[in-house]
Amino acid sequence: MTLRSRLAGLAICAAGCFTPLVALSHAALIEAETAQAIRLHAFYDTGEPMAHAQVIIYAPDDPSSPWGQGVTDRDGWFEFIPDATEGRWSVQVRQSGHGAMAHVQMGGDAPVIITASGTQSWLQRMVMVALVAWGALGTALFVLRKKGRSDASA
Amino acid sequence: MHLPDGIVPIEMALAGYGASAAITALALSRIKSMSDPQAEIPRVAMMTTVFFAASLVAIPVPPTSVHLMLAGLMGVMLGWFCVPAILVGLFLQAVLFGHGGITTLGLNGLILGLPALISFGIWRTAAQRWPDIAAFCAGSLAVVTALVIFAAIVLAGLPVTLDASAERVALGVFLLAHLPLAVAEGVIVMTLLRMLRRVEPRLVPHA
Repeated sequence: MTLRSRLAGLAICAAGCFTPLVALSHAALIEAETAQAIRLHAFYDTGEPMAHAQVIIYAPDDPSSPWGQGVTDRDGWFEFIPDATEGRWSVQVRQSGHGAMAHVQMGGDAPVIITASGTQSWLQRMVMVALVAWGALGTALFVLRKKGRSDASA
Repeated sequence: MHLPDGIVPIEMALAGYGASAAITALALSRIKSMSDPQAEIPRVAMMTTVFFAASLVAIPVPPTSVHLMLAGLMGVMLGWFCVPAILVGLFLQAVLFGHGGITTLGLNGLILGLPALISFGIWRTAAQRWPDIAAFCAGSLAVVTALVIFAAIVLAGLPVTLDASAERVALGVFLLAHLPLAVAEGVIVMTLLRMLRRVEPRLVPHA
């Protein structure tokens, strides 16, 4: 075997050894960056979380078709990272015919403004019930008084 | 059990307003034909308040909780007056508590108004012979009928983008959780009417 043929054989062996290594080695790379995420907590007014509820996200430039979808976790939490589209993002969370919508204003350096329906305290609710009861009582007394007068005049 | 805004398509919400307006017109025409409809106003006002406040009462049914509806009681106590009374109560609940939406007020009126009228029919038909059974059936069937109408509307209004099977499962769990409420409201109506018949029979219509 000549030196030339030995070198050729060595080159073939080297190619045979290294080529599969290149083909099999899928290098894992990570590119990390910070991003502004939106995190929502969906729950019923009784305080129970909306577990595994469906989430529909609408981007500002197309409020009629969903930009993304997802599901809340067992505690009612859901988070997503919107793209760079500025404006009002809308997120609907719904489950078994119940649901709510939250709006998140995103834009430039402006602070994120979130609008969502808040919960009322029991005191607020009791005041409202008392006011409605007062209104109903007033209506009832007004009608009875008016009726009493008309009966008396007749 | 109130449909909030944005759950059903706007066409369905408008149709709900139309159907609710038709039922209200029918109810008002029946009220107008009564001999003295004004005499009923105090009772209607009081029952509207009770209905309005009842949505704050949550009954724990593990793993969730359900709200009182009282559609059956409204139908039994108010007759045709139950339709406008329920609409007023729903409007106040939507505005003050956020229970239900404004765009879905018509649909919510149907969900609770139709069962209330059915309960009224049951009570008027059977109150003389079997008052307790009639009261229980009126209270319970109102809940069951409301559940059926609610589920039908939700399923009919599901957007194509939504996972329909997941929503159907969630709706099934929701309906099962409300079945004890059907029994509870039947007992409530029966107990209340039994008490009123003893204490103040004039307050119980058709008894």
